[in-house]
Amino acid sequence: MSILELKNVSYRYKDGNNYVLNNISYSFDKGKTYAIRGRSGSGKTTLLSLISGLERYEEGNILFNHMELNHIDLDYYRNTNVGIVFQSFNLLPHLTAIENIILSMDISKVHVPNKKKKAIELLEKVGLNEEIGNRRVLKLSGGEQQRVAIARSLSYDPEIILADEPTGNLDHETEDEIMEILINLAHKEKKCVVIVTHSSNVANQVDVIYELKKNK
Amino acid sequence: MYLLKNALVSISRNRGRNILIGIIILVIASSSSISLSIRESASKLVTSYIDKYNIEATISMNRQNLIGSFEPGNNNFENNIQKFNEIESITEEQIIDYGTSDYVKDYYYTYNLSMNSSTLEKATEEIESNSDFSFDKGGRFGGIKNERMGQGDFTILGYSSYQSMSDFISGKYTITQGEVSDDFTSDSCILNEELATLNNISVGDEVTLVDPNHEESTYTVTVTGIFSEKDSSDNEPMSMFSNSVNTIITNTHVISEIILGSEDIRTNLNPTFILTGQDVIDSFTEEVKEKGLDDFYQITTNLETIELGTKSIQNVSSFATTFLILTLIIGGVVLFILNLINVRERKYEIGVLRTIGMKKQYVMIQFVFELFIVSFVALLLGAGIGSVSSLPVSNQLLKSEINSSHLEQENIEQNFKGDNFSKNDGPGRRENPFSNMNGVMKLEEITSINAIVDFEILMKLLGIGILLTLVSSISATIAISRFSPITILKERS
Repeated sequence: MSILELKNVSYRYKDGNNYVLNNISYSFDKGKTYAIRGRSGSGKTTLLSLISGLERYEEGNILFNHMELNHIDLDYYRNTNVGIVFQSFNLLPHLTAIENIILSMDISKVHVPNKKKKAIELLEKVGLNEEIGNRRVLKLSGGEQQRVAIARSLSYDPEIILADEPTGNLDHETEDEIMEILINLAHKEKKCVVIVTHSSNVANQVDVIYELKKNK
Repeated sequence: MYLLKNALVSISRNRGRNILIGIIILVIASSSSISLSIRESASKLVTSYIDKYNIEATISMNRQNLIGSFEPGNNNFENNIQKFNEIESITEEQIIDYGTSDYVKDYYYTYNLSMNSSTLEKATEEIESNSDFSFDKGGRFGGIKNERMGQGDFTILGYSSYQSMSDFISGKYTITQGEVSDDFTSDSCILNEELATLNNISVGDEVTLVDPNHEESTYTVTVTGIFSEKDSSDNEPMSMFSNSVNTIITNTHVISEIILGSEDIRTNLNPTFILTGQDVIDSFTEEVKEKGLDDFYQITTNLETIELGTKSIQNVSSFATTFLILTLIIGGVVLFILNLINVRERKYEIGVLRTIGMKKQYVMIQFVFELFIVSFVALLLGAGIGSVSSLPVSNQLLKSEINSSHLEQENIEQNFKGDNFSKNDGPGRRENPFSNMNGVMKLEEITSINAIVDFEILMKLLGIGILLTLVSSISATIAISRFSPITILKERS
């Protein structure tokens, strides 16, 4: 059963006449990894913005658990149902890795007895330890930052993980490590992992590939 | 809770900017604290000053209405005089009726009239004259109706209570023998000691008063006391006698009895109503008019005279108010701009917070918390600085204001008199007639303000702090509400 379904979704920016996305229909299931591929300007990131609820669509339908995404509280959706991982990590640089994760838990109103302990567990899950977790994120490598970003996105146990070029800033070896984490999340923890990428290496590791063509 | 924690973390992270904001708020808070304490203290001082002096209302001739009713031209002079004389005098009954008003705390009145005496010789500085006119030392005209008050040798003053005997209260008159009878319905009187000495009268003697128009009409009163008049600026400098030498002081009952016995005798009735406060002046005036006070009369009060004494302090208070408003406007604008810059610089942080699902309003609240915490600390410090400096600052301002007021007064004196008044410091010095001008008070000039930062001012400061925080946060909240997280993150990428 699809957790996320796109039906004839079209999108154009308010200040433009041409459609960035035109009549897209995709479906996403739990326990699978998906790659959305396409050339620059094909609307990959725009599609991810729509799926993640960062932007509202005007044509077509996006259904999350059969509910129209436009009809639900998108802030709640983002802090409960969907975890987002960005190419540029988007962590708060003045906080430590652990503080970034705890902040995300606070925003999501996650009730755990010990948030710090939970943050450390999440960091360990992505291959980091407490010592790294206590460092400010700016003092971490790109790979470490991306792991922190993944750990943050898992902090409220969302059903969907959306990753926008998660390995775009990383070397090949680290890319594989990050992909392993994401694939494990889908296969072992039954998350729906959607990765926007133009990397063939990433695309080759996922279960389903959606190819976006310009304006299609 | 996490919003507060985040706010504290952000404050610590953006120390430089927050210190700058803190300094600005500190300046605003200290100036506001000083201005508020000056305003509050000045207001309390003015109120207590006005309370100290009773608001006294009197009835006087409304000369404007009177002149307005006159017919112009010399040919109408007699008609006008007649018209004037036809104006109904205020009666004792009217005074008592007005005195029952809810706006009146107390009231008293004095009667005066002119009479002769068969037992007293008038004190006069002229030996004998064929002229009907001699220099009467006791003339006290004025009051409600400036009538020709017969041609008696003595001015008879009747008081309704001790309170009405303002010359005794002020210390101008002092009893030297006997007493003023506390029975204001008794046939008693007190005499000036000069008159008593000239006539060899002492306490217990009787004095017979005679109607100057009808000699058969007499009234006898017993002398219960002798008074002396303190030398004052009102006294003629070259005179042998004091002004009150030919004044016989009695009570209103005696005068009422005299009036009953001599119907055409002319009297002056001067009522004084002590009002419950300055805010009831208009209501009292309206009530009295409704009760039938003629349009030729008007209610006048001593409020203006009392307020003159507070002019300097009110100027200082107005200055403090203007300063407060300017400080708040300028401070508010500066804080508004600083906050706008702050939000723009933290656009990325806002974008990340919004992306991971923090609601717009929570982001706004966090920014408001940050500003409020900084404001609160700065306000406390500002209140401390304000409480230390408000007293010297306010008194310095008042001192400058008084000095400038004195200077202005001296200039006015120069315009009238040159140096005569200021140099006239010797014996028999006359009181400066300009001393009531420009707020340099004849009564008691206020020379210091006890400006303190009390709980009320602290609460007002807190109110100002909240207001400033909210107003200057508007920039932040508007900016946050317009930011799109995806746009912010795209810009950064």
